[in-house]
This record gives sequence, C-alpha cells and structure tokens, in this order.
Amino acid sequence: MYKLPKKKQLDQEAIPTTSLADMMFLLLIFFIMTTTLSRVTGFVSDMPSGSSGKQESKDKTPTVLLQGDEVRLNDEVTTMASLRNSLMALHLELKEGNDKIVMVSTAGNVTYQSYYQVLAAIQSCSGVVAIVTEDAEEKK
Amino acid sequence: MKPIKRHSLPFIPTANLVDIAILLIIFYMACSNFVSQTAAKVTLPKAEALERQQEPLILVLIDSKGNIYLQGRQVENSAAVQSGVSALLQGKETDAMRMVMFRCDEGVTRDVFEPVISAIVEAGGIIMAVGENVGTGK
Repeated sequence: MYKLPKKKQLDQEAIPTTSLADMMFLLLIFFIMTTTLSRVTGFVSDMPSGSSGKQESKDKTPTVLLQGDEVRLNDEVTTMASLRNSLMALHLELKEGNDKIVMVSTAGNVTYQSYYQVLAAIQSCSGVVAIVTEDAEEKK
Repeated sequence: MKPIKRHSLPFIPTANLVDIAILLIIFYMACSNFVSQTAAKVTLPKAEALERQQEPLILVLIDSKGNIYLQGRQVENSAAVQSGVSALLQGKETDAMRMVMFRCDEGVTRDVFEPVISAIVEAGGIIMAVGENVGTGK
C-alpha cells in the first residue's frame, strides 16, 4: 500500500524544535549574568517600639551616647573597640526581657558608619537595641 | 591511483544538551535575586561579627545623597516609609516575614537615617541592617 501522502502530513504538524537550544542558551546566559548567589551580611535587630516613657528608669539601662566621633557608655567616654568589651562584661546573654535593652542615643553629626558599629556591637553581645530619638526625649 | 578515502565527521551527541540547559535555567531562575537598587550608590558600613542573612522581601535603602528608597522606588520622607512598610507588612505575622532589609550609605548622617529606622520599627518591621564584615566575624 502506498502511504506517502500520510507521512507528508505528519511532517507538517511537527513542532520545530531546532531553535529551542539557541533560546535555552540565551536564557541561560541571561540568568548566569544577572544572578547573585551571595547572601548579604548584617545583623537582625528587633527594636522595641513606643515612647521611652514606658521604659524602666534610665539609670538601670545601659546607654550608649554617640556624639560626633565620641562614644560614651553610661556617660563614660570609651572607644568603639572597648565598647564591645564593656558590653560583654554586662553579660546581656544571661539576662531576659527588658534587662537586655541597651539604649542608643545620638547627638551632633553622627554618621551611619559609627552608628552601625555600635548597633553591631550591641547585637553581638546579645543586647536589644532601643533607639532614643529627640522627640522621645522631649516627651519626658 | 589510490581511491580517495572519505573521513566521516566525528559524531557529537547533542540531543541531551537542551535538557541540561533547561535544568540549568530552572536552577538559575530559582536562585536569582534581581537587584532592584542598582540606581542608588551605597557604600555599606563595616563592622565585626556580622552574620550571613537571608534577604528579606522588603527593602529600604538610603543612598549617599540621602535619598530614601522603598522597594526600589524613591519616597519623600520617613513618614512615607512608615506607611509603605506598614502596608507591606499587613497580614504578615511571623518574624521572618516581618524582616525589612535596611541598606544605608556609611556617610549618611543621623538626621536622615534615624527617622527612617524609627519609621520601620513603628511600622512593625524587624530591621536587618546590611553591612560588610571585617575582622573576626562569625
């Protein structure tokens, strides 16, 4: 039996896949170029919200004051390097709840670099950062 | 006269090549993080003991000029950040979903970054502050 016409019909219905590989490689190159596989580094800080009036007395809570290039821990001048050691001496990891809080206040021309170093130091010592803003201080 | 010997070309099987390419594409599609803050110039602050973190879905960025961006779009002030973050966090209860990535240029002054940080906190976000690890990190 002669079946040539039927075969010809089948050839016409086939989906052309010859260019599929080219498209796949184009997509592959695109994803290779745009992908960032590296994870970001940083710290996570769940800061308490609300006014400072709700907090316990300030003299119990360690307070870091950033004033320009100067760093003070509980009104004593310190350096970024020794701040971490001083915070570690407080053994915040053994404390719970509000006792873990370290208040951070700023004054003057403070850059994010020094602010970040303070927050990272507190965070690495298992402290909880509480920001004291100017508005909150005025409410007292 | 010697008969000309025809050498047949070596056959390289390429049938599976497309399958491999598709698998690679799926891998890259699953792992890709499209950077939405390419327009903004940010020099990250440096600190010790920073850890690797998962990238949260919400991004707040402050560039070197003090411009504030929420999800890649520039916003006017911290009040806009608070309302925007608050809207994005609606219905999200777990800590992992409340994470807000905060990228800020190291040279930005406190009058710019502090209200933004307070705005994120007031909106119910947990701040994941991005920086570069130096020295003895974990």
